[in-house]
Amino acid sequence: MKVFKHDTWVKPYIKKYKGLLVSVLLLGLLTSFCAAALMFTSGYTIDKAATQPVNILLIYVPILLTRAFGIGRPTFKYIERLKSHNWVLKVTSNLRTRLYKTLESDASFFNEHHKSGDIMGLLSEDINHLQNLYLRTVFPTVIAYLLTLLGSLALGIYTPAFGIFVFLLLVIEVVVVPFVSVAIERNRKERQKQLKSSLYTKLTDNILGVDDWIISGRFNDFKNLSAKNVKELNSSKDKSKSFRRNRDFVLQLIFAAIAICFLVFTNLTMTDNQEQANFVAAVVLSLFPLSDTLIPVSQGFEEWPQYRDSIERLNKIQPVSDQLPEQIELAPNDFKSLDLNDVNFEYSSDSPILIKHFTQNIKRGEKLALLGPSGIGKTTILQLILGDLVPQSGEIKINDIDIQAIQNSRDKIFSVLNQKPFLFNTSVINNVRLGNENRSDADVIEAIERVGLKDLIESLPDKYNTNVGENGARFSGGEQERIALARILLQDAPIVLLDEPTVGLDPITENNLLDTFFNVLNDKTIIWVTHHLQGIKYVDQVVFMNDEKIEMQGSPKELYQKNTHFQELYKMDQGL
Amino acid sequence: MIDKRLFRLPGTKQLLLVLAGLTLLQAFVVLFQGKYLAEALVNSWNQKALQTIITPMTFFAIAFILRHLLNLINNKIVENYASKTSENIRSKLLDRVYDVGPSLLSEKGTGNIVTASLDGIDLIENYFKLIFTKLMNMTFIPPILLIYIYTQNIASGITLTIIVPLVILFMIILGLAAQSKADAQYHQYTILSNHFLDALRGLPTLKMLGLSKRYAKNIYTVSDEYRRRTMNTLRIAILSTFALDWLTTLGIAILAVFLGLGLINGSLPLFPALVTLILAPEYFLPLRDFSSDYHATLDGKNALSSIFSILEKDKQENSDNDLQKLTWDQNSSLTVKDMIFNYADGQNNHDASLDIKDIQLHGYQHIGVIGKSGSGKTTLIRTLGGFLNPDKADIKVNDQSINSLKQRSWQDELAFLPQSPYLFSGTIAENIAFYKPSATEKEIEYASEKSGLKDFISTLPDGYKSIIGEGGRGISGGQQQRIMIARAFLANERRILIFDEPTAHLDIETEYALKKTMKELFENHLVIFATHRLHWIKEMDYVIVMDNGKIAEQGTPDSLYDHNGAFSQLINNMRGDQI
Repeated sequence: MKVFKHDTWVKPYIKKYKGLLVSVLLLGLLTSFCAAALMFTSGYTIDKAATQPVNILLIYVPILLTRAFGIGRPTFKYIERLKSHNWVLKVTSNLRTRLYKTLESDASFFNEHHKSGDIMGLLSEDINHLQNLYLRTVFPTVIAYLLTLLGSLALGIYTPAFGIFVFLLLVIEVVVVPFVSVAIERNRKERQKQLKSSLYTKLTDNILGVDDWIISGRFNDFKNLSAKNVKELNSSKDKSKSFRRNRDFVLQLIFAAIAICFLVFTNLTMTDNQEQANFVAAVVLSLFPLSDTLIPVSQGFEEWPQYRDSIERLNKIQPVSDQLPEQIELAPNDFKSLDLNDVNFEYSSDSPILIKHFTQNIKRGEKLALLGPSGIGKTTILQLILGDLVPQSGEIKINDIDIQAIQNSRDKIFSVLNQKPFLFNTSVINNVRLGNENRSDADVIEAIERVGLKDLIESLPDKYNTNVGENGARFSGGEQERIALARILLQDAPIVLLDEPTVGLDPITENNLLDTFFNVLNDKTIIWVTHHLQGIKYVDQVVFMNDEKIEMQGSPKELYQKNTHFQELYKMDQGL
Repeated sequence: MIDKRLFRLPGTKQLLLVLAGLTLLQAFVVLFQGKYLAEALVNSWNQKALQTIITPMTFFAIAFILRHLLNLINNKIVENYASKTSENIRSKLLDRVYDVGPSLLSEKGTGNIVTASLDGIDLIENYFKLIFTKLMNMTFIPPILLIYIYTQNIASGITLTIIVPLVILFMIILGLAAQSKADAQYHQYTILSNHFLDALRGLPTLKMLGLSKRYAKNIYTVSDEYRRRTMNTLRIAILSTFALDWLTTLGIAILAVFLGLGLINGSLPLFPALVTLILAPEYFLPLRDFSSDYHATLDGKNALSSIFSILEKDKQENSDNDLQKLTWDQNSSLTVKDMIFNYADGQNNHDASLDIKDIQLHGYQHIGVIGKSGSGKTTLIRTLGGFLNPDKADIKVNDQSINSLKQRSWQDELAFLPQSPYLFSGTIAENIAFYKPSATEKEIEYASEKSGLKDFISTLPDGYKSIIGEGGRGISGGQQQRIMIARAFLANERRILIFDEPTAHLDIETEYALKKTMKELFENHLVIFATHRLHWIKEMDYVIVMDNGKIAEQGTPDSLYDHNGAFSQLINNMRGDQI
């Protein structure tokens, strides 16, 4: 339970929508109560009727109650299910907003984490896990506990000793066994999780690497790769299953013991006269429907480790407080130059210095290409320019303003287009309009026309309302770049950062795309990170970085004439 | 609800027999449990002493325990079967991936296959577990209890008999209504439910556009809209469970009233009335169990049928042992005539289907394959590598005729270097020795020296033992290609090298540095090299120009440069304007 000590993702929300929560628990309790009461009243009805009362009216009330509870149980259950989902989904909306805001506050989060798999997918799954935590563990457990307390109390009022005795048995059923079983299963579940993730890796190796397996002819190794893992996982799972079966059996034994107690108790205390004896069947039979509420508690507990991971992961994300200096408003039209003076940057004190003494002066309207081997820090320079990263020394300035002082209005100054531009799963026109939500449909369509997509999009059945699909899958890589470019045109910021927008495209698509880029962005200042020399003629300055310094710099023409290495590279690129 | 193919799985029939026996037994135990409980209660009602109820109570307890013991055994058998059978299916799925893998992957998507082989198998296991037990309980328990109830009281028997078809009718009607409502909303539903993930992934973009702060409000609005819609659907979707619950509990209530009236009339003693009342919930229990976990069952069923469809997909008739063992050398030759390959409908291919008239390769030729994207380069390369089976082809290796290059002895001669190399989780040494796992440390070191990896590996703290691949150390694109090259150097007895745009993702300087190494590897190998990087053409002595799945032109680079054909045009388009 240490998990909850510093928790801010579960506890605070229990207090939210308190009324609804209480009604959910109450309804759950009522459902169980009606189930028991149905058997109680029908047992009583029969027993009473068996005494053959002269007047049928004597069993009129129990008959009426039997019907009422018969209708009450399903009705309460139905409402309870609706209300509990409603509560959970309301909390989910809050949790999602909070997760979004937390991540939003921390731009560097993305820089650190974008490599480590699909962290976003993981976090959004975590929120779904919390939904199940409530629906499958918290609610049923709380209801079972309330039932245990109230049931024992009711018996206790009648006969205190018997009440306490039943209470103890019920505590074993809903508290002791669940906690013990979580304690026993914890390590095994942990191990299963590891095994499962390693199995995932191995199956991925099997499937994504299948070409290599086939060529190598190592069929047996291919089959055996996951075999050992599967075996261990299955044997561990078998142990869990066997444990679960035995545990459920024990739970039933305890329940049987309670039932026997009820039988003995009723026989001993309720057989003094017929009026009392008429309640025997009622009391005993009302016990059985309660197993539906009591036995699943252990099951709910069993899922706890899975939820714990989610809670821990969510609690690890902390909002980052704003440490920006006083913000200055810079009108886009006033932008004159961008200066990087002797910039040094390292990700952390124990990693090597990535950017060393980087100096560059970029004037309005200038176009600069940045080249260098991968891993040299080209993208890092773009992040420094944007202000997402802060250099250890040196300064980055726009006109004479430090880059950190214009962060609030940075979208007015910078546009970014990267390798895999993100398109939202909505229509083309909505995606482009994100560039500037105040522009008219006509403006948006004009931007789409300028990037050369008009004919394509008008040929589609839904035209501009065509959905781009998940991650823009409806369109090819080149087309996605163009849609993102149209977005940037609407954004109309004076500086455009291009981060290898054409990598992975074939040369003809690449040529056409670069032609469009530099054509429509003609009046912008462009900093273009690229991996080869296709389209290099469009820029004014080429900067080659290596891990020590700027290796060469100049206009493409000048470099081609003076620098043999550049000449070689250029010739190779052009196949000359 | 039940896939007929299930019964064809090995062991299913025996399982069903065993389960049938156990469930039958269980039905009687349930019956006895009710009977003796009723007896005990009747004695108490008659105000008899404790001794009189000890016997029925003991029998009740034994029946109760036996019932759950049988349940335990039942579960154990089903769970063992489920885990064994689903494991078996996974193994078959992997065989399938190996057999027809690459074309299967391009059709179903790699992600889908990985998910199917992991989560899909779990779903299936769960499905087996649920379906068989529930099915058996439904088949045996209610009828036996019903027969007994008829013997006790005919009116109650009739009441219980009538309720079941009523329940089923209601569930079908309501189920259909819910289904059609859910279907109508499904599309928007998925968009809404994925909206949050979409927004998280797009957060950097929103930030760049200056929208991220304002968008937080949108998250709440959309999420709440999702809640509203979910609630609307849920209201109807769980109506069918409600109807079942309602009818069964009301059934018990009505029964109690009837029994009560019968008792007052004196037409019925207490025992049959009580035993009927006790057994009524047991009678409905299997039906209620069957309808709960409906979604888990449905998911499992879908997972199973999607895996079945993979397993049953057109089995290849070609044997991959037609071609005798060969050693490719200077005098070897490969002729491909009239080769047709068509992608199946719906296959998500980004490349053209093939219609190749004539290709002749021999000895240690270096053949470049060029063309715009989607021209069929990759398809051609993959048919030559034996990853794809042509629909029709007349192929000759040396003098042997075959109709597909998916031949073990052909692939034993190949080394394949793709555009994005796949690194296996394991050490660098294991990755280098992938074609030749028996290689000695010396051989691996030699190969990595040849491929220019040595310096890089020496900078790693664990050297050759460094773990790479999934979850391992990040390796740059250039180094990944070098590992592939080292693989080919190590397996030097494989004399055919197939490259599929190996440098497309690399930056120019890395490519420049890599080129020297690759040229060395080319020596004494038949090289088939698909590329759109023009400089490689200079290293080739023969070029095939692809266009729309056909060979537009082929010949030596010089002869192709000389006249203004498909080759020259393509080169001009690719090159673009110069400085």
